Amino acid sequence: MSPATDESSQQDLELEIAALESRLAAAKQQLAQSKSGVRSKDDNPPHPPIPPTITTSAAHHYLLLLSDSALPLGSFAFSSGLESYLAHGRQRTPNQPAPSFPFFLPLSLSSYARASLPFLLAAHRDPSPATLALLDDAVDATLICAVARRASVAQGRALLSIWEKSLAPSLSCASLSGALAPYALLLRTPHSADDGEAEPPPVSAHLPPLFGAVASLLGLSARQCAYVFLLSHAKALVSAAVRAGCFGPYQAQRVLAGEGLRDAVGEAVEREWRTRVEDAGQRVPVMDLWVGRHELLYSRIFNS
Amino acid sequence: MISPFPKSSSKPGEGHIVVNLAPNKVSTLESITYQYPLKLISPSSSSANKGSVLVFLLSYGGGLVGGDRVNLSVDVQSDAKLSIVTQGYTKVFPSITPDIVTRQKLNVNIRRGAALCLLPDPVQPFERSVYEQIQIFKLDSGASLYLLDWVTQGRTARGENWSLTHWVGRNEVWASTEGGDAKSQLLVRDAIILDGAAGPTRSQTLRESMHGQAIIGTLVLRGPMTKRLGQFFLTEFAALPRLGARDFRSNEAREKEDAVPRSLFDDWRATRLSQEKDLGILWSAADVRGCIVVKFGAPTVEAGRSWIGSMLVQEGSIERDFGEQALICVR
Repeated sequence: MSPATDESSQQDLELEIAALESRLAAAKQQLAQSKSGVRSKDDNPPHPPIPPTITTSAAHHYLLLLSDSALPLGSFAFSSGLESYLAHGRQRTPNQPAPSFPFFLPLSLSSYARASLPFLLAAHRDPSPATLALLDDAVDATLICAVARRASVAQGRALLSIWEKSLAPSLSCASLSGALAPYALLLRTPHSADDGEAEPPPVSAHLPPLFGAVASLLGLSARQCAYVFLLSHAKALVSAAVRAGCFGPYQAQRVLAGEGLRDAVGEAVEREWRTRVEDAGQRVPVMDLWVGRHELLYSRIFNS
Repeated sequence: MISPFPKSSSKPGEGHIVVNLAPNKVSTLESITYQYPLKLISPSSSSANKGSVLVFLLSYGGGLVGGDRVNLSVDVQSDAKLSIVTQGYTKVFPSITPDIVTRQKLNVNIRRGAALCLLPDPVQPFERSVYEQIQIFKLDSGASLYLLDWVTQGRTARGENWSLTHWVGRNEVWASTEGGDAKSQLLVRDAIILDGAAGPTRSQTLRESMHGQAIIGTLVLRGPMTKRLGQFFLTEFAALPRLGARDFRSNEAREKEDAVPRSLFDDWRATRLSQEKDLGILWSAADVRGCIVVKFGAPTVEAGRSWIGSMLVQEGSIERDFGEQALICVR
């Protein structure tokens, strides 16, 4: 081994040791805090408020359920602009590149992460109905693409139903299982709007904050919650690509298993880990155009 | 010795505009103050026959140098009308290091029955520029807002094409209540984040992610005065030809239908649609929480400008309510 590589591998080891030590310290601190029952006010990065009634193994079980593509959110009905992107590619101007899924996937992940993770993580930190309602209203104001709004609300409502009908009843602790009831009630209260300048409804059940709250109540950590949320987005996109005829099922699994996707999801989580709710927005402006113009497609397989 | 003059409380880059309605029902400038590097000019001629007070938003040297801070607040009092325009691109010059942020802040209050028409030239961020633009609009009920915010790829003549280091553009529209803003509610937050240094993803550059667009823009409309214009955009969007649709008419039938004389408006629409197709203009319009949000992108700056200009001029309500002066940046 040459001295140069020796030196760099030594450096790598040192870095790894430092990283492991900091993780150990963080874990010790968390343990101490949960023992003493005290939680510092501004936990940063956010620690999962693991309720005592959810064991680690139960949380792991719920993680697998939430990451399952069979989770009945109806995600298969949405392509998040992929279908529109492909259709626009057929009538592109000479200065635009031909459509390609490897181009679209990381951009869509990056765009979706900036638009949704701040709300998801904030709801994970504090899944109380009042905070959830505020975050939901903020998503409703920030998500200004009509097609994306419909997709977000449809899946959010589905998740709330799954929570109420299936997940909450499985929890033995009443304070957990009833945690979202006031929020659901607010959603179902008829919204009185005077027609002049219609006020927006108090809550709409957007997916990102609800997912964060549900994951938090089920004992998932913030990292797990963010990773599973973005991975589900990627899985929905890849599945849409198969049905849109971009490639077959083996290639689809290859994309999902690939290092590129793992990196892209991990990187997106990392980037938006500390993004404030006020700073959520659109990283890829042309994405708004593709998603918004989905309504103009002559024939459609998907709802977005 | 104590100075006999009142102390100036203005800080660099600060400015304030107040517009009210004079007893003769004409919008008038109540006050206008500004400090370097911000410059505000209002042509002194009366707004009587033009509909609104006109203010030029300028900066010394025609641009913002790295680290400049502009902080403008605007009050449009009940039933008054104000148009704000610029004289060419707002240029954003490079920052020496990425942590030197050039900032432009705009805080606007629009009272009942009043209106602001803000149709400036696009912002042109140069290579290595670091820019943050935050515009907050608080509207009482019955107030109206026309807001155009657009950004270009940079100086193409110098080879710039989304070569900026960092860009944040955030527009917030709030519904406020007269008196206090305790019950203000956020209606729409439109935020664009362009990361030129790190790229939108590790594997893609900002330029790649812009997908051939030279300019991207957002038009936000809110309030009773904008109703007709908002409806116009929604109708035109709904009337766009379907993507992937085919014309099943025979050549004969087509010629026959084309021969039928069309109204001036149909002619305008047909011309616009063929331009949208040829030039590659992408746009969408939606009603979001009582605001009409129009998003558009074009492969050249001029195509984008002429598209939005053509839409606003054709519909005509801005020219009628604010005077043609309000539209000088989109013509």
